[in-house]
Amino acid sequence: MFMTPIPWQMRLFRAATFRLAILFALAVTASTSIVFFFVYLHVSVYDDKQVRSHLIAETADAAIEPMERIRGEFERRLASDLRIVDYAGFYAKDGTLIAGNLPAPPPGLVIDGQAYQLDSPLADADGYTRDPALFVGRRRADGTTVILGRSLYEIHALRRIVSRALLIGVVPTILLTLVIGTFFSLRSARRLQSINQRVNRIMQGHLNERLPTRSGGDDIDHVAHAVNLMLDEIVRLVSQIKDVGDNIAHDLRTPLAIMRARLERGLCSESDYGVRESVHQALRDLDRALMTITTLLRMSEIENGPLRRSFGTVDLCEVCSQIFELYEPLAETKAITLYLISSPPMPMIGDFQLLIEMVANLVDNAIKFTPQGGIVTLGAFASPHGPGLRITDTGPGIPAKEREDIFKRFYRHDRSRHDAGSGLGLSMVAVIAELHGYGFRVGDNRPGAIFEFLPKGLSGQASRT
Amino acid sequence: MKLDQEILQDIEPPAHSMHASSFQSQEEDSSALPTSRQASKGIPLLLVEDEAGMAAEIAAELSDLGYQVQIERTGPAGLAAARSQAFSLLIIDRMLPETDGLTLIEILRQENILIPVLVVSALSSVDEKIRGLKAGGDDYLTKPFAMGELAARVEALLRRPADLRSSILRVGPLEMDLIERSVRRDNRLLDLLPREFKLLEYLMRRPGQTVTRAMLLEDVWNYNFLPQTNLVDVHIGKLRKKIDQPGSPPLIESVRGAGFRLRA
Repeated sequence: MFMTPIPWQMRLFRAATFRLAILFALAVTASTSIVFFFVYLHVSVYDDKQVRSHLIAETADAAIEPMERIRGEFERRLASDLRIVDYAGFYAKDGTLIAGNLPAPPPGLVIDGQAYQLDSPLADADGYTRDPALFVGRRRADGTTVILGRSLYEIHALRRIVSRALLIGVVPTILLTLVIGTFFSLRSARRLQSINQRVNRIMQGHLNERLPTRSGGDDIDHVAHAVNLMLDEIVRLVSQIKDVGDNIAHDLRTPLAIMRARLERGLCSESDYGVRESVHQALRDLDRALMTITTLLRMSEIENGPLRRSFGTVDLCEVCSQIFELYEPLAETKAITLYLISSPPMPMIGDFQLLIEMVANLVDNAIKFTPQGGIVTLGAFASPHGPGLRITDTGPGIPAKEREDIFKRFYRHDRSRHDAGSGLGLSMVAVIAELHGYGFRVGDNRPGAIFEFLPKGLSGQASRT
Repeated sequence: MKLDQEILQDIEPPAHSMHASSFQSQEEDSSALPTSRQASKGIPLLLVEDEAGMAAEIAAELSDLGYQVQIERTGPAGLAAARSQAFSLLIIDRMLPETDGLTLIEILRQENILIPVLVVSALSSVDEKIRGLKAGGDDYLTKPFAMGELAARVEALLRRPADLRSSILRVGPLEMDLIERSVRRDNRLLDLLPREFKLLEYLMRRPGQTVTRAMLLEDVWNYNFLPQTNLVDVHIGKLRKKIDQPGSPPLIESVRGAGFRLRA
């Protein structure tokens, strides 16, 4: 029921543009009507008023003029009135017509000098004079009566013309607006429909589909373009997540597979000691896997969390000497000489715990990859753009083409090497550096590697982390 | 006396420090039992944990060590139990149905119930730990953890460090003078580096008590991360070489799956 196709008439009515067209038609009609209404008002009221006051004044004049002048005036007036819109009557005391074209006073007219609208007493054959007329009657001092009148035919004709014009004007306006509205709404409905179809395909998982855009660049194109950019970003993120997911799966699968094999072998073991040993080793593998998860979570916490942790002044020189003290015994057990390159205090703004962790990871790595009898150095130094750190070793070094990749997640410098790390140490280092606005420059120590922790952006030399 | 205070400030009791989770098991050279069963005989503990499997495992481990564990599954039930009975320690999961773990601790603290609390949580961020400790928790352990780590933390909370004011510490043949900053074994002066001195002091304040690598890194070095290599073991190894005598058994024992213990 929910998905039954909607008939096109309904679809049309639902389309926003069509509704807009109807609204527009209504607005046009309303404003036209208002204009016409004012014209009409002017014609009917203003003209009517003028005729009235004119008649009243003329009648008042006639009432005081000598009888002979009235007769002459009336004749002149009626002679020039070719359209028969004027009425005049001059009556004796007994009501007989002395002059004019009204045989008798119109019935219902009150003789008080005021204007009254009455039906015309003169009916023509063609009926035009049936239009109402205004009459003013006044009694003279000698007992005679003057009545003047004017047909409202002209005014009424004008009214008729105005209202007809209104009808003739408004109806086509409405129709035209509706037609144009329908045209545009059908046009945009077609575009929206095609966009909708693409969106449906994208929702079904075809992430490579894009919304159609035209070169014109109207509003819909802008939105479609923005959506396309958003889709590009989503595709990039999804593939990144997938990569990381694949890496996690791979990195967890290896220890889990080894663990499984060990437990299986342990179960078959004849001796109690064998079982215990395999369980112990399996536990160690499990710890490694859990460590990987914890490290990934910590990295995303540092990367995505707001900078809530306390940034303060950290002396890189102090960081180095603490790490030296922490790692010196370890280097000694591997017969590696760890040197602390002394420097004046190198204060920078940062998170002490995270910087300690970062340098620990780097020194840990350096010691791990340096053979017996090798040398590892660490120390702070003043770079032209701010305090920096330098860690060198005499290990196998890092080939130039790998220097960018080593900071990526799960990248193993040398996959054949069976190191116990999670493969995330340098990624963590990169995340911490990024948080501080720093980057790394990796160089050749001939033999060995040089890691330089430098302010990013300013130098432009520090490699991307 | 001033010197003494400085040293004391340097070494924080575990109650107020942050703890990273530890599930690293390392090579052990001896396999002493994690905790003496006799010492913890019948100590009543309350465990408030909604995950049945996790609760059963923790309870089994602690019962094996001789503790008497009562399990509650919800916040209100835990609160009721903590109010009605005298427990020596509470282990509270951070996320509980009905009443949240931190809220539970806050209510208890408001009611002046000051039993030590170990917060156990799947939330590992530094901010979460700070929140847990601020709410009144005494220690914070992140899941997943090694059972040895849990046992050591429980023991540490139950046995607060010995008298902090005394300036001479004596454990077995060892004697540490905190004012002179000297250590003697059977009246023979030992030559220790400052860090080794601090490490030994931490152990001597907790004789016979298991301390984990994470506890040492947090409390002795003040770091809240775990290095990937066996750093702590190397430091302990160096210390052992200086305090042990050929022929006699090592004073610092390794505790399998947990950490180290200074023989009392």
